[in-house]
Amino acid sequence: MANIAAQRIRREFKEVIKSEEVAKCAIKVELLNDSYTELKGEITGPPDTAYEGGTFVLEIKVPETYPFNPPKVRFITKIWHPNISSVTGAICLDILKDQWAAAMTLRTVLLSLQALLSAAEPDDPQDAVVAKQFKENIEMFQMTARHWTNVYAGGPHVNKECDDKIKRLVDMGVEEHQARVALSSYNWDIERATEQLFS
Amino acid sequence: MADYFQEMGWQPLSEGQAPNHLLHFARLFRDYNIFDESLTQSLAPPASKSVVENLPSITINGQGVKCPVCLKEHSEGETVKKMPCNHTFHAECILPWLAKTNSCPLCRFELATDDEDYEAFRKEKIRAKAREADIEILHNSMFS
Repeated sequence: MANIAAQRIRREFKEVIKSEEVAKCAIKVELLNDSYTELKGEITGPPDTAYEGGTFVLEIKVPETYPFNPPKVRFITKIWHPNISSVTGAICLDILKDQWAAAMTLRTVLLSLQALLSAAEPDDPQDAVVAKQFKENIEMFQMTARHWTNVYAGGPHVNKECDDKIKRLVDMGVEEHQARVALSSYNWDIERATEQLFS
Repeated sequence: MADYFQEMGWQPLSEGQAPNHLLHFARLFRDYNIFDESLTQSLAPPASKSVVENLPSITINGQGVKCPVCLKEHSEGETVKKMPCNHTFHAECILPWLAKTNSCPLCRFELATDDEDYEAFRKEKIRAKAREADIEILHNSMFS
């Protein structure tokens, strides 16, 4: 890896570790290899959102041309959000694309992602199904996002109704995550979800 | 009262000059907000070569200022490049960036570019803002 990228990540690492957000346990970064090319990030769900209480793990890949090009970031923890793919974890955020600036750091990227969790942009979606639900039925969206946070990110809000519906589909032989995706996509209408799964 | 051409920031056609249909289309699209999105979605072009060459170099005196690109602290007596927005960078840190795009990595202050289309677009944007402000002033002078 080019020297400038590795050196910079090393410096940033110290910056993140010393930052007050780490002290408050809001963000975290970990090295995955010695060459500073792959890192693991972690952000907590912002308070007063459906993601509250959850911990979201991110994959961070640092290109050789960093910081002139943005790091490649995606969610490893499954999440229900208009700007994040519920399938791949790919993120639609301008600063990770054309609005990147060389003075941005891992810390500002993680904080921006946290801000994205509290302020979705449904008009610039990554996941069209989620964005549609967000625009047409915000309460349904909130409930679904909270349920996903509970199941995949360790959030505190158990939703018995969702769990029961998933269990009914699992009893019919559907894989659990697939059942959750189908129900989430059809506003938890079990008949329509079943129809889609078995068609 | 400014005349039509002055107000729009346009030039009347000179003798024998053909109208620029592309530009008219661009304005039409702009007026209907069709292109805003597609243009702001792509990275702005590199800074103009002559502007980059003429960026002043200054000598650091004092300590505690970091180069925002490599995050190394500038040392006393070091020579660095200074942007018009007063942010300072190592030459080897800012030059590759300005070869990619025209803005300050820290505050997004935009340098001029060599890209005529982009410059025209930027001028149009500034003019549109000025026009909005003019209308606002006119409105306030009539109704307050």
